[in-house]
Amino acid sequence: MSTSRFAVLQLSGCAGCEVSLLNASEWIDQYRLMYMPLVVSAYDVPDVDILLISGGVRTDQDLHHLRTAVKKAGKVVAVGTCAISGGVANLGDRDEVRDLFLSQSSRRHVPRLLPRCQPVDAVVDIDLYLPGCPPTSELFMAALFDPEGFQASRSVCQECGRLKDKSIRPDKLVGFQQGKVQEGLCLINQGYLCVGSSTRGGCRAPCTRAGHPCVGCRGPSDFFIEKESKEWLGSIQKVFETMTDIPRDEIAQALVSPQFALFLFQFSDYAGGNRPLRHKEKVL
Amino acid sequence: MPTLIFPISRIEGHAQVVIDTHGDEVVSAHFQATEFRGFDYFVQGIPAEQMPVIVPRICGVCSTAHHVCSVKALESLYGVTPPPLARRIRELLLLGQLIQNQATSLFIFTMPDRMGTDSIFEPEVSASASRPGIAVQSLQVRKAGTDLISLAGGQFIHPVKAVVGGVTGGISNQATDEMRTKLNAILPVACELFDHYWQSSLEMAERIGTWGDDQPSHYIASTGKSCMNLDSDTICMLDENGKQVDCFSPAEFQQKLTFIESTYSYSDETLYKGEIMRANSLARINMSLRMGTPLADQYLDRFQTTFGKPAHAIMLFDLSRGIELVYALERAIEILSEPLDGEETSIPYTPRDGEGFGLVEAPRGPLIHHYSVENGLIKSAKFIIPTVHNMQAISRALKVAANRYVGNDQIDLELEKAVGRVVRAFDPCIACATH
Repeated sequence: MSTSRFAVLQLSGCAGCEVSLLNASEWIDQYRLMYMPLVVSAYDVPDVDILLISGGVRTDQDLHHLRTAVKKAGKVVAVGTCAISGGVANLGDRDEVRDLFLSQSSRRHVPRLLPRCQPVDAVVDIDLYLPGCPPTSELFMAALFDPEGFQASRSVCQECGRLKDKSIRPDKLVGFQQGKVQEGLCLINQGYLCVGSSTRGGCRAPCTRAGHPCVGCRGPSDFFIEKESKEWLGSIQKVFETMTDIPRDEIAQALVSPQFALFLFQFSDYAGGNRPLRHKEKVL
Repeated sequence: MPTLIFPISRIEGHAQVVIDTHGDEVVSAHFQATEFRGFDYFVQGIPAEQMPVIVPRICGVCSTAHHVCSVKALESLYGVTPPPLARRIRELLLLGQLIQNQATSLFIFTMPDRMGTDSIFEPEVSASASRPGIAVQSLQVRKAGTDLISLAGGQFIHPVKAVVGGVTGGISNQATDEMRTKLNAILPVACELFDHYWQSSLEMAERIGTWGDDQPSHYIASTGKSCMNLDSDTICMLDENGKQVDCFSPAEFQQKLTFIESTYSYSDETLYKGEIMRANSLARINMSLRMGTPLADQYLDRFQTTFGKPAHAIMLFDLSRGIELVYALERAIEILSEPLDGEETSIPYTPRDGEGFGLVEAPRGPLIHHYSVENGLIKSAKFIIPTVHNMQAISRALKVAANRYVGNDQIDLELEKAVGRVVRAFDPCIACATH
């Protein structure tokens, strides 16, 4: 079998996606890594079979690199929240901090900041989306080797393993920083705002297993991915109505706070941008 | 006046080196951070309790350090002290971070410089007779660190288990046993790779005729004098003779350090009383009397006998990282030999407004988070990133390297390699430095 060639284009992000990729070694014998500035000294993206793109389009340099790189690639994969939606840097587009933020663009001799942090598909066509902050190493291997054959549950909830108890109905939300988490019991029963019930599966639920509620970094499950975000948020509300006595407003307010907004809107509109519709067949 | 621009790879983040020359004179050498996301700005107005989940996104390589530091900043604000078991589990997190980072810097970022290749993943490298399988083994050592973070932190990038007042839960005896077995198996692999690295470094220093000369410098670290402490509350300064000249709490950083905003970089730069300082592995090794674990202490003795104390040559940062890798594996094995499944993993607290300062020793040096909270929301947040303390030192060392290779009528092409070696020795993290 001939060795496939792949490259990783790093735009403005945290390198967590790259680090996750490095946590697997299965690719070494079957793929030749042609470009990935984190670990390879090469100045440009050469012709490759697969191009993985991480990070959002934040600077004019990002824009240039992105446009140049996709011309060299067979298949183009957007990996991680930043590439798909702009990610955490997108929080800089909130109205209340925009002016503060853009005052930084006055620095000279460095790549200029664009007016907004953009997802990569605002600029180029994407063949496959790999959401997650970051996607797990297993998901990276699936994207490289066999996206169609990847087996996963529909939602994080189904991968979590914590048990629901109908007799426990909390009536207010517990903060994330609450220390004690009861082992084995569903986090919603314990009053945490966990959105794993409709978040896309495939990560194997590492956060909820460790006692932290799911914040939705994998985006919505197939059922909601082609719909507006209000459908997804509505379904989360329904889960809390069924399982708890927590007031609706409290949930609604918490769902749009930055920690959630960052992830819950990655496949729909956030900060006013018009996102293209992503087909579920294109999302791993 | 020719300007030479070198994009830098095999570091975390986007950066380049710009050298201005005039005849055989090196006019200036600058290390430029060329990315920016703006965490200082966009965390304003965020509920304080969300910080430990949002700020690890500053950096996927250093996310564990930010996670723990953020929790410590909130604890200092709320006046909470976590129970001993939680401190143990957090130490495991920081050790896992150190293993992952030092293995990456040694074997993936800088080993190719010693082998004369672009990457450790080149098929020719893996097939080479002198060191077969080096890529896979390097990833295995690194993964021991990430597995440890996953165990103690839930997941290894952007972990979630540290919370204000402690951690979300203990670790079962079965899980500690399995991890201890895994680390015991990886320790000899790491030592053998480090021995190979040490030998390759000797050969490289011989070939290029230097260990990276630059004048002696001040050093900054928070690990203390006796055994390494990654979770302390005090930052110390050494002068260029290795004498401890200052110790201060994270709350005093503004009085002790001068911050310079530059127009050629998205990163700030710092000075200590007008002096250039260095953070990262060599600072800690120069500060430590002992590592406190058997194999690491053997390496430390060998290092200090060979290079003296304090040691100043640039590429000794790299060797120091190897000593710390061995230390972190041994220390983690020690902690995993005690029961970690106790009940008392956190204590209750009441949130309040005010100011808080968190400190941890990240792989690149002391990391400080400084939060002001009003009505439960972040009013301002400052992230004091260790790479920023190294910025001036990197530029100065680059100028020394440039002087070595810039001649009257020609520039030695070794300069490009030298520039990479100098920057990588400091292992800067640009995503963190600019955040």
